[in-house]
Amino acid sequence: MTSRSGDPVSSRRSPVASGGPIADTADVRLACERIRAAGPGLVARPWAEIAGVLGRVGARFRSDSDPLRTEALERLPEDAGLSVAMAREVLDGMSRDWTVDRLSRTVEADFEEPACLDGMSTVRGRHVMAIGPALCLQIVSGSVPGVGVNALLRSLLVKSPTLVKPGRGDIVLTELFARGLREADPQMAEALAVRYWPGGVEAQQRAALAAADVAVVYGSDETVADVRATAPATTRVVAYHHRIGVALIGREVLAPSQIDAVATDTARAVALFEQRGCVCPHVVYVESGGQLAGADFADCLASAFGALEEALPSVTLDAAEGAALQQLRGTAELHAATGAGFIRHGGGTAPWTVIYEEQADHAGPVTLARGVRVQEVDDASALAARLSPLGAHLQSVAYAGLEGRVPEVAESLGRAGASRVVPIDRVSFPPPWWLHDGRGPLRDLVRWVEVER
Amino acid sequence: MEAFRDLAERLEARFAATGTDPWDRATFEEWALLVFAHQYESCSPYRALCDARGVTPQNVARWEDTPLVPATGFKHFDFMGEGSGPPEATFRTSGTTRGIGTRGRHHVPSLSLYRAALLPPLEAALLPDPGEMRMVSLIPSPEEAPDSSLSVMVGFAAEARASRIDWLVDTDGRWMSESASVLSEVASADEPILLLGTALAFVHALEGAGGLERGLPALPEGSRVMETGGFKGARREVSREELYLRISEQTGLPTHRIVNEYGMTELLSQLWEPVLAEGASATGVHVPAPWLRVRALDPSTLAPLGEGQDGILAFYDLANLGSVSHVLTEDVGSVTEGRVRLRGRAPGSEPRGCSRAMDELMSASSR
Repeated sequence: MTSRSGDPVSSRRSPVASGGPIADTADVRLACERIRAAGPGLVARPWAEIAGVLGRVGARFRSDSDPLRTEALERLPEDAGLSVAMAREVLDGMSRDWTVDRLSRTVEADFEEPACLDGMSTVRGRHVMAIGPALCLQIVSGSVPGVGVNALLRSLLVKSPTLVKPGRGDIVLTELFARGLREADPQMAEALAVRYWPGGVEAQQRAALAAADVAVVYGSDETVADVRATAPATTRVVAYHHRIGVALIGREVLAPSQIDAVATDTARAVALFEQRGCVCPHVVYVESGGQLAGADFADCLASAFGALEEALPSVTLDAAEGAALQQLRGTAELHAATGAGFIRHGGGTAPWTVIYEEQADHAGPVTLARGVRVQEVDDASALAARLSPLGAHLQSVAYAGLEGRVPEVAESLGRAGASRVVPIDRVSFPPPWWLHDGRGPLRDLVRWVEVER
Repeated sequence: MEAFRDLAERLEARFAATGTDPWDRATFEEWALLVFAHQYESCSPYRALCDARGVTPQNVARWEDTPLVPATGFKHFDFMGEGSGPPEATFRTSGTTRGIGTRGRHHVPSLSLYRAALLPPLEAALLPDPGEMRMVSLIPSPEEAPDSSLSVMVGFAAEARASRIDWLVDTDGRWMSESASVLSEVASADEPILLLGTALAFVHALEGAGGLERGLPALPEGSRVMETGGFKGARREVSREELYLRISEQTGLPTHRIVNEYGMTELLSQLWEPVLAEGASATGVHVPAPWLRVRALDPSTLAPLGEGQDGILAFYDLANLGSVSHVLTEDVGSVTEGRVRLRGRAPGSEPRGCSRAMDELMSASSR
């Protein structure tokens, strides 16, 4: 917002989507006590058994006749602000990982010797055991559905009683998973609680932080800073702050025979989660020297967004999002009118917006809601230098083309801050064992005990 | 084309002559189209936009049909009329609520036009009775903050109507050492005062900043408060109702003696809450200056909305003669009989997802 005097700050509380009520502080404390008490029961079970139970619950979200999936599909569009088709796409993409196989593989990816979760084990000649927090608080903000479930899976896999505060648009899936767990294994479900409170409501957050051994926070830089500032010294904070993705289109695929397919993949990558995910590309860098140029790619991308409205419709933006989109479009139109590129968009019927910028001007307008900027880059090897100011906020680089150059480009992008270099058709749903922001998702939660001899 | 100075002088005379009397549609339209023609001719980025849209002074008949400039555009373009001379001031935005971005800049070729546009509505809202009044400002002085349109506004108000003004806060938000003694002195005098501040300054005052150990003192009868938004960069936001109740508690003034100003760097005219004249029933309503028109537009299509419907607020400000007049904001609200009701951002509604605008990150990291 650019207002000087700004807005009279309103006290109106936004309605919690279709989720449950707002937990009060006493309720949060009680939930913490209850799940902590369930810790010994959870710890006594082998990790493989835990993965088995969680995987069986997760599989229900993939089974067409299962009432959990039916309810999820019914409630998700309103809860998360997604179209019916997009909600289904997101549920399918997220729940693909909630299986016994993939959860087990996640444990095996992070722990060379997974038995170290069950007792003292010898790992590379050291006698060690990995211990999950006696109470893990998972604070999820934002509204990418499924992140709350991913979060609780991680901490339960390391045998940690878990309190999840889901994001405002992620309440339904988190609660449905908890319900599924109660039905599958009431004893294990004792170690899980889902409580919602709006971000920034201090008392609940303080109470939960005081009770937790480890607090994991997924959210904006401000949210992360707030959690760090309010966490007691003895509560370890594991933070996933703001991240953004970019795309890199190599000149190899900038040919008439391939460009449409790549543009379609790119449009899907931007549109999935409606540009709310940290994996969504915000800027597409198109390599120079191909048969077709960056401007051609931008045009193809616009067509792909238009077509995508059929398969994965967007939703009508709320007034605040619409206002931001209009600022974006209006500013891009001014840039275009003064001769520095062009803008294509879906007008009043669809929020997709493609802004082609001739100059690499990072002070350009904000991207949101299927909005993306397209810029040219001379060579893939030059992208790292362009991105280095993003540093700590860079996450996924989605690519097409490049062929044998991927390792070399990945090395430079990694040094510039990227933690994931991935083909563009796979960027939206990283596997559960991905190095989330460059770190093992389960390893990050545990502490170790070692016997020295 | 009429030169900037001539047009500005004519507008100034008109503002002075009509005061806060409403302008009818035809009068406003005539002026708006004159102003549009001037901006089209003299401001090249705006002309480029108009040409791209195929809108020219020759083919536009209604002010509503002139191209809108997004407020964000002030961050990227210098909207300056060629031929209006170097700006007498450049007002800058304070950053954004969502993070640190490039600051917007509003070049002002005539401070005298700004003064003429702001004074009549300000006086009607804050100083409806004739004569001077003592003022105490929690907003930095224009000498301290010449690039703040708010500071300059308070400076003009003081010049016109203050028997005396004390500036208690500097541009970095530091309190002057004499703050507490100034406030206890005004509290013990019989003379009513006008206390001006941003929401954030009031929060600090209520919590005892500046050596105000017991917060704000009880103010003499007849006193009034001007409050304007501004929690930017603050970790803690307080609801407006709560803030007003607390100001009221400490000062002893009823909440309808607290007048909200709604303005922005990109607009040289303001909107005011007419509570002094109309009482508590006017709470939450903002009246624009007569030379400022407001519309609520559909967030998706930008089509004008009906009375009372929430939409994105768009302004046409004749006082913006030297830059661009038709400005689209990010603020959401409704318009009923020309009066505006703002709708705040819902608390806790941080931008969705864990993604964030790239330009903000880029500029934040280069600070």
